[in-house]
Amino acid sequence: MTTELHAAPPSTDELFAILLARDLRPEDRTIMVGANMPMARAAAVLANLTTHPDARILIGLGVQSLGGGVPPPAVHPFVFDPRTLAAEALMFQGRIFDDVSRPDVFFVGGLQLDRRGNLNLFGIPDGNGGWKMRGPGSIALATMSTNCRGYYVVMPSHDPRTFVERVALISALGDRTERARLRLPGGGIRLVLSPLGVFALDEAGELQVRSLHAGVTPEQVRAATGFPLEVPDDVPTTPPPTAAELATLRERVDVDGTLRA
Amino acid sequence: MSEAGASEGPARDAGGGRRPVVTTVEEAVATIADGAVVGIGGAVTADHPMALVRALARRAPRELTVVAPTGGIEVDLLIAAGCVRTVVASYVGIEGLAAVGPVFRRAVQEGSVEVVDLDEAHCVQALRAAAQRLPFLPWRGGVGTSFPQLNRSLVAFDDPVRGEPLLAIPALELDVALLYAAESDAYGNAQVAGTGHMDALLGAAARRVVLQVDRIVTNERIRQAPERTWFWGETTVARAPFGTHPYSNAALTADEQHLREFARVARAGGDELSDYLDRHVREADHDDYLEQVGIRRLVSLLV
Repeated sequence: MTTELHAAPPSTDELFAILLARDLRPEDRTIMVGANMPMARAAAVLANLTTHPDARILIGLGVQSLGGGVPPPAVHPFVFDPRTLAAEALMFQGRIFDDVSRPDVFFVGGLQLDRRGNLNLFGIPDGNGGWKMRGPGSIALATMSTNCRGYYVVMPSHDPRTFVERVALISALGDRTERARLRLPGGGIRLVLSPLGVFALDEAGELQVRSLHAGVTPEQVRAATGFPLEVPDDVPTTPPPTAAELATLRERVDVDGTLRA
Repeated sequence: MSEAGASEGPARDAGGGRRPVVTTVEEAVATIADGAVVGIGGAVTADHPMALVRALARRAPRELTVVAPTGGIEVDLLIAAGCVRTVVASYVGIEGLAAVGPVFRRAVQEGSVEVVDLDEAHCVQALRAAAQRLPFLPWRGGVGTSFPQLNRSLVAFDDPVRGEPLLAIPALELDVALLYAAESDAYGNAQVAGTGHMDALLGAAARRVVLQVDRIVTNERIRQAPERTWFWGETTVARAPFGTHPYSNAALTADEQHLREFARVARAGGDELSDYLDRHVREADHDDYLEQVGIRRLVSLLV
């Protein structure tokens, strides 16, 4: 059974979870996960069990810390599942926003991301005060991206409609020049993950490729990106999950296989 | 004044001077008038007072402004029932089951419902400002974003102390807040199980509170843990066990199957959505609704 479990190649969400957990920094002490980000939930739990035993992880509104041997919470389909209330502390919105410097790290998804790192969750306006495509709303994205030490963007798809020259509306300001001008205190985007690769903002604040996932070609990612993206021919391949990372993820973190579904 | 005054309510307790505020789900929402500003508690898939929402959709007042800080099918249901003119929210969706509330999306794209975008923290500041009788409270999150362009009530300004760019978040006053708590006594002393989300602030920003509870308990029991008690101004309490269904509460997981089915009919719209509304909302009181869901399903959801 165990061998069979490990034999399956990692799903995209499993890869995301492992890449996110790897990139967390030693000084990250409070890791916050929002709604509809099961791969980020898994990343937080994975880090807490391995590299970050002193961290507190906020999953939904329950605060967990697994370094002391508490069993890890399951990856439930809904982030506010009542079983997440089995925690060492409970958070609620008033309290979270009274202490906005506390969460070090946050994870976000988006409808559109642009070359300057701006993210849109509002939707696409029709130009006449209405909506061509209405999105879910920006939840706490503006607030968390303003204040966190750093945030990770996880894009579920990579095509010219999602990786665009300029977002139609800005939910989270990624543009480094603008952030500095407006004196936003947080550290901004750390990484952008997509099904094709790993990206980050360069010195000039432009989105650049860090690595492409195994099997993805430079031509493929250029064609899937809605703005001219420089992809060197010798771009590194994303280091794949190790057997140990996958084993921990599958046996201890995502026991029910939510990320494999 | 967009909401008619609540009735006198039940008679005072025999022998005591204190008036109970318990009523039925139907009575509790009976005076919510056309055009009222209605706050709804809970967050994403948890702790929304769905029995009150269904009762309100059944009565079908028109032109409501629904304030749902992190909302979901409560917004979809009220829009489908023809009750809503404006939605004030930071999110409307069913997490992994529907990235955007399907009825909400359709209505907003058609232009029949207006959306007032706020960040989740803006909701907190706006409700606090109302509760504190201030015209606004400042916030930094949203500076440099499209929020002020989308929501013209948000005002960008430079703070007078350090000269930093901030947003003024105007007070958001509610006519009524519909909230859920696990239990309350007969006088509206509520005790939540779980976190309570933004509910205390919704209550504080509202002219009156309608509280849906699983259990009505004695005042003596409330007094055993007074540090857990919330109370507001004018409050009405209605008992509706399992009343957050299909959403979760501290003792009940969300009904994924029911939510999936709702998402399907909400996307389909037309007759399918109308049939859902007839069956679960228009032609069913809370007990009928629970019978349709069925005892086996309900029991399977208990934590």
